[in-house]
Amino acid sequence: MAVIENTAVGRDRTAAATTGAVAVAAGLALLVVVLAAVDITQGTADVGAAEVWHALTGTAQAGDASVVVASRLPRMIAAVLVGVALGMSGAALQAVSRNVLASPDTLAVNAGSYLSLGVIAVTGTTLPLLASSGAAFVGGLAATAVVLGLSGIGRGTVRLVLAGSALALGLNAVTEALLLLFPQRTEGLYRWGQGGVGQNGFDGVAQMAPVIGVAFAGLLLVARRVDALALGDDAARGLGVPVRGTRITTVVLATLLAAAAVTLAGPIGFVGLCAPALVRPLSRRFRGLSRSRVSLPVTGLVGAALVLGSDVLLRAVVPADLAVEVPTGVVTTVVGGVFLVVMALRTRDTAGADAPDRLRIPGRTAFLTTVVVLGVVLAGVTVGAVLLGDSKLLLGDVVNWAQGHSGRVVTYVLDTRVPRVTAALLAGAALALSGTLVQAVTRNPLAEPGVLGVSGGAGLGAVLLVTSVQAPGSWAIAAAAFGGAAVVSSIVFGLAARGGFGQNRLVLLGVGVSAATAALISLVIVLSDPFDTTRALTWLSGSTYGRTMPDVVPVALVLAVGVAAAVARRKELDLVALDEDTPKLLGLGLTRARLGFLVLAVLLGATAVAAAGTIGFVGLVAPHAARALVGRRHVRVVPVALLLGALLVGLADLAGRTVIAPAQLGAGLMTAVIGTPYFFYLLVRTRR
Amino acid sequence: MRRNLLATAAVAVAALSLAACGTTEPSSDEPAAADKPAGKITLTDHTGVKVTLDGPAKKVVATEWNVIEDLVALGVAPVGVADVKGYTAWNTAAPLTGDPKDIGTRGEPSIDTVAALAPDLVVATTDLSPAVVKQLRKVAPVIEVTAADAADQIGTMNDSIDLIAKATGTETKADALKKDFEASVAEGKKALEDAGLGGAKIASADGYVQANQVSVRAYTGGSLLGAVNERLGLENAWTVKGDKDYGLATTDVEGLTGLGDVQFTYVANDADGDAFSGLAKNAVWKSLPFVKNGDVHRLPDGVWMFGGPRSMEAYIDSLVDALTKK
Repeated sequence: MAVIENTAVGRDRTAAATTGAVAVAAGLALLVVVLAAVDITQGTADVGAAEVWHALTGTAQAGDASVVVASRLPRMIAAVLVGVALGMSGAALQAVSRNVLASPDTLAVNAGSYLSLGVIAVTGTTLPLLASSGAAFVGGLAATAVVLGLSGIGRGTVRLVLAGSALALGLNAVTEALLLLFPQRTEGLYRWGQGGVGQNGFDGVAQMAPVIGVAFAGLLLVARRVDALALGDDAARGLGVPVRGTRITTVVLATLLAAAAVTLAGPIGFVGLCAPALVRPLSRRFRGLSRSRVSLPVTGLVGAALVLGSDVLLRAVVPADLAVEVPTGVVTTVVGGVFLVVMALRTRDTAGADAPDRLRIPGRTAFLTTVVVLGVVLAGVTVGAVLLGDSKLLLGDVVNWAQGHSGRVVTYVLDTRVPRVTAALLAGAALALSGTLVQAVTRNPLAEPGVLGVSGGAGLGAVLLVTSVQAPGSWAIAAAAFGGAAVVSSIVFGLAARGGFGQNRLVLLGVGVSAATAALISLVIVLSDPFDTTRALTWLSGSTYGRTMPDVVPVALVLAVGVAAAVARRKELDLVALDEDTPKLLGLGLTRARLGFLVLAVLLGATAVAAAGTIGFVGLVAPHAARALVGRRHVRVVPVALLLGALLVGLADLAGRTVIAPAQLGAGLMTAVIGTPYFFYLLVRTRR
Repeated sequence: MRRNLLATAAVAVAALSLAACGTTEPSSDEPAAADKPAGKITLTDHTGVKVTLDGPAKKVVATEWNVIEDLVALGVAPVGVADVKGYTAWNTAAPLTGDPKDIGTRGEPSIDTVAALAPDLVVATTDLSPAVVKQLRKVAPVIEVTAADAADQIGTMNDSIDLIAKATGTETKADALKKDFEASVAEGKKALEDAGLGGAKIASADGYVQANQVSVRAYTGGSLLGAVNERLGLENAWTVKGDKDYGLATTDVEGLTGLGDVQFTYVANDADGDAFSGLAKNAVWKSLPFVKNGDVHRLPDGVWMFGGPRSMEAYIDSLVDALTKK
């Protein structure tokens, strides 16, 4: 229960506010209790409400009692603990960073834990529970330490989330590669990676409860200082609050909570992002909730209600046997995504975009040099990609093949290799352009096709088609991907448009929707083909495997149109990317221009996904790097970003085909592996 | 600094491109000597595709472990197989013969490598993505074998043996294999009846432990192991419904409470860890009747649960051993 302490400030007002806060907390607590009671009557064993009652009163048969004690109760308590931990963790992180997007998910805690467990699974060592929990814990902490170390605490909140998302992408890519390469050994890991609250006895709960308790108490102790930070760093310093120290302490405690939650139940997505977003409007209504000391525990309760509610919903809707196969984390993510969308619509968009990074503005010569050099390197990579593979070829072979009189083996090899190289280059360029457009329109360095749900929607459409139809054609896949992307982005952009495309609202909506699509993709995979995860994972890992020339036609066409449009409208792009007011002053229809660019970006993203699967990162990295190289003007950014995108995916595909040949790694995994370090380099270099 | 880096990259790329001239294979204008085919073989694979071979296939590539096993059992040493390391760990009933080339993972065999082997025949299963099969067809004749069918698992196993035997001209060997399997079933059934286990209830499973979560995979009556169990005169105790291909279902420890008093057998592999040993302290597990009676049996490593007749013979032997050894 929330402990409420009267302060000397506004005692009369506080009294009324306090009653409101108490009422909210009590209501939430009641909800959690009801959900918990329902939860322990659900499961695969034939133990319903009556048997549970008997077990709790000590009059049950031994078998029933053991089910309640060793399976139901631990599951229920784990759900509550995980929910509380994640909710508080998210609330603390958001309060400290003054950033609604900060959460355990975006700080790579989950990704770090997932990877360390993956490595253990692959090396074939079986560890006792405590050791493997410890490994997950260390992995999560290490990932967070890297993120915080590189982005610098309190040096711009966007950088923190950027670094976290980047690292999470990279780490997840490595884990997925392990899942694909060692399907036998990692069978359980994939399911764990979706997050489930089922427990093997009380051990896990007993070990993690104290950790969560300590972190909880610690957060309550620093709560007042966190409140002071909300006034702004200078004001807080004026009140004598150690700004840096408070930040570090809070982040470490929040990470501890998140890592404990991951250890108990795997990465349960989104609760840490969603619970604080649910509490925020409440705290506007009940003033008493605006203080961290009250709002943190309340957010914890909301988190618990979310996790328990998802678990109850899952087991109530799906038959018990199937409910085992559907991870609770998938449900929390979908539920959380929907909530987040609703919240995004209800909140007033206050924050504008951060001030743009200050960049050097290189001269014309520098720009031309960059383009020429990138062009030469790209040509080299293309040649290399065609010649290298499991069987090395030489240029003469390619000449023979092009003239149609090469030998049998060379013909086969090039017939399969050339479409793959083409698909990689075109998809990379399309994603880079898509990212450039989205970042310009939203003026948000976090925005990219992946973040806004475009890739997720396209992936969902394509996976639905791939799992339901035998051997769909390439145009069918492109159409399905575009259909999914169109539905998702019309939801995101349509909802965002109601407020004239507010900065944070758009990204918040996108994050909610893209997480929900990712969870739905997992759900489709688990339900349609529970024992052949490899097939769908392969496709999702952004692979050019098995591509033929007709598959790359859609992306080629859209890319041609996109480049033409971006070049023709380069001035508008510059203006839109500048700020809210300048385009209006110049009489440019802001909403219409934005909408046009966004539609183009969606088309580009969807066809790229259809051609090469879901490749993350490129839409984020290529525009950034391009701006760092040649400044901010789109007449220069677009060509450089295109070249960089093609180069990145081309290299990734080449590496994926050759590094562990004859086995293959998806280009999407490789872009993340190649892209992450580069991205960090950029972050470190632009430290201000 | 940056410019230096870029310049170096450009020069390196140029040098590499220049080094890559020449050819690795003469162009097709220089005809190679073609040998006259013997008798043509025409067959229809399990997806209804007609395939014509110039003669019994000698150089065969296989993309999945069950068809690799079929080839080895038929005395055809495959020239290329998927995931050599995994096969060696998981299928000890039919060790690889010859020195086959690794063609990559089972989900994504490298078409480059297969093309370079220039095989007479590629044996794939219906689990392989159709786009890949289409590309493989350009490289060599491909026959697709039904991966698994919960409606008739043993029939499917025999069909794939027959089809592969027809393509490789080893029908006599195939008949012998099927006879051996039947003999093994009859022998196992008799041994179980003699031990008073005729009609005993059985539940076969494997499982995974991840952190503190256990998931149990049930081999229902629709799975290959389940079908073999029934042929041995045992009764399948699982009530959960399996998937339509492999006949597998997932449950948790709670879900074992409905099994009652059964013989519980499970498959584990040292490479993977033993999920059920991690349950020793779990109260639900300890309260199960078959755990109390000591009717829990771990089968030896290296019996591939989705394999062919050889694997199933090994399974029957180990099952009979485990159940009759009190």
